[in-house]
Formats: sequence, structure tokens, C-alpha cells
Amino acid sequence: MLHTSHKTSNTANWPPRQADEFLENGREYSEMHRILIIDDEDDIREVAALSLETVAGWEVMVANSGAQGLARASQYQPDAILLDVMMPGMDGPTTFRELRKNPTTAHIPVLLLTAKVQATDQRRFADLGVEAVLVKPFDPLTLSEQVKSILGWN
Amino acid sequence: MGITPGPAIDDAMKQLWVRFSPQMQARVSTLEAAAAALTAGALTDELREQASSEAHKLAGVLGTFGLHEGTELAREAEHAYKEDPGSARNTADHLTAIAARLRTLIAARK
Repeated sequence: MLHTSHKTSNTANWPPRQADEFLENGREYSEMHRILIIDDEDDIREVAALSLETVAGWEVMVANSGAQGLARASQYQPDAILLDVMMPGMDGPTTFRELRKNPTTAHIPVLLLTAKVQATDQRRFADLGVEAVLVKPFDPLTLSEQVKSILGWN
Repeated sequence: MGITPGPAIDDAMKQLWVRFSPQMQARVSTLEAAAAALTAGALTDELREQASSEAHKLAGVLGTFGLHEGTELAREAEHAYKEDPGSARNTADHLTAIAARLRTLIAARK
């Protein structure tokens, strides 16, 4: 289903998965990945959600803090998480470590989102053990391709 | 994918821009206030840190809306405020010019 209007799943529950379910356009259900975006900046959160929903047709859920992200990751079991680095309260690296500590979320691939472009910052973030570090600003038309390529979803 | 996202995402991005441009203008207002305070020799640590934070946010989002020059300028401002711009007159003038250019870029985007 192509999400032509931008309605991210702030509160809506994702449906249970059924491996043999097919979408209207014939794509296998398993191709509709579920992504959790954790970012305190509403503009970035909304653009990323729009991009992944509209371009890739993925299910997107958002969280506006590390704490909310931990709860939603555990509850909704996304296929991957886009996690902002700089957030008030629990920042991205701390949120990532908490995700890894929890057996229900430890397996979920995490891609960090950051506007920090200095090589020292990039190395520090990569050393955390995340799947990748994506630099903001991103291109809304190609963000999903980046994610697919990194996670081997092609 | 089997879909043509171009027109759909273009329209949606325009709607998001309308929704979020006031927030971006407000962030530029912080940069303008910080530059004015720097010019007057009255930049507090609190305002300097706030300016660095707002510049960081602008750097992360403007290019997403196609304003790549805005991202570069915001990064420059973020770095300057983070490193403590001191009281050099040319630095104050430069940060004032950056804030003014960001204001223009954001106002001009449709």
C-alpha cells in the first residue's frame, strides 16, 4: 500500500505479521519492512517517515525520545531502527546500549542518524557497534535505498 | 518498489515545509540574537550553547529540503558557537551574515 498521505504511526498498532499475506500490488508482505524512527526533532522524524513510507512503502513508527523508543522497539519489534544521536535526556548512544541490553531488542539492527560530520565523531559512533552511521541531511528519495543496501534487503 | 514516489513525495515535502518552516525561522531568530549579542560583547554561555544547538538542527534538516547551502552555513555557525567565537569583530560580522543568509534562504523556498 502506498501511503499517499503522510500519517506516521504515532499511536496506531502495527498489525500482526502473516507470512503468506500479500499486498494489493502483489508484493509479498515480507517486503514491507517495519521501521522505528527515534528522533526528538519533529521535522527530521516526519521527513524520514514520509520518505520510508512513500518511497519504499514500509510501515513506520516514530518515537520522540530514547525512552519512548525503547518501549516501542520492545513492543512492536521493528525490522530496523533509525536512531538520532543527539537527543535530550537519553541520547542515541545510551539508547543503543539499552536496546542491546534488552533480550527483546538486542537483535534489531540500528542505524544512527547524525548531523555530526567530523571523522572523529563518525568513528566514535561506528565503534558503538551499530550497523551504520547515516549523515543528516539525507535525501528523502534515496534514504530507503541506503537502508536496504546497508541491511542487505535488496 | 513498483511505485512512482516522485510526485507524491514532492507534494508531501511541500506540506512538511509549510508546517516546519516557522520552526526553522525561529531557529534562525536564535542565531540572529546570538550574533547581535556577540556584536555587543554580551554573548552569554547559555545563548552561545543554544545557538550552537539550533545551528546543529538546521544543519541536519535544511539539506533534506534541498537547501544544501543552508546546511553548510548552519554547520559553520554551529562550529563557531561551539568553539566559542570570542569577541572578534570579524567573527561577529560573519555570524551575522550567516544568520541573514539563512533567513533569506528559508524565506525564499516554496
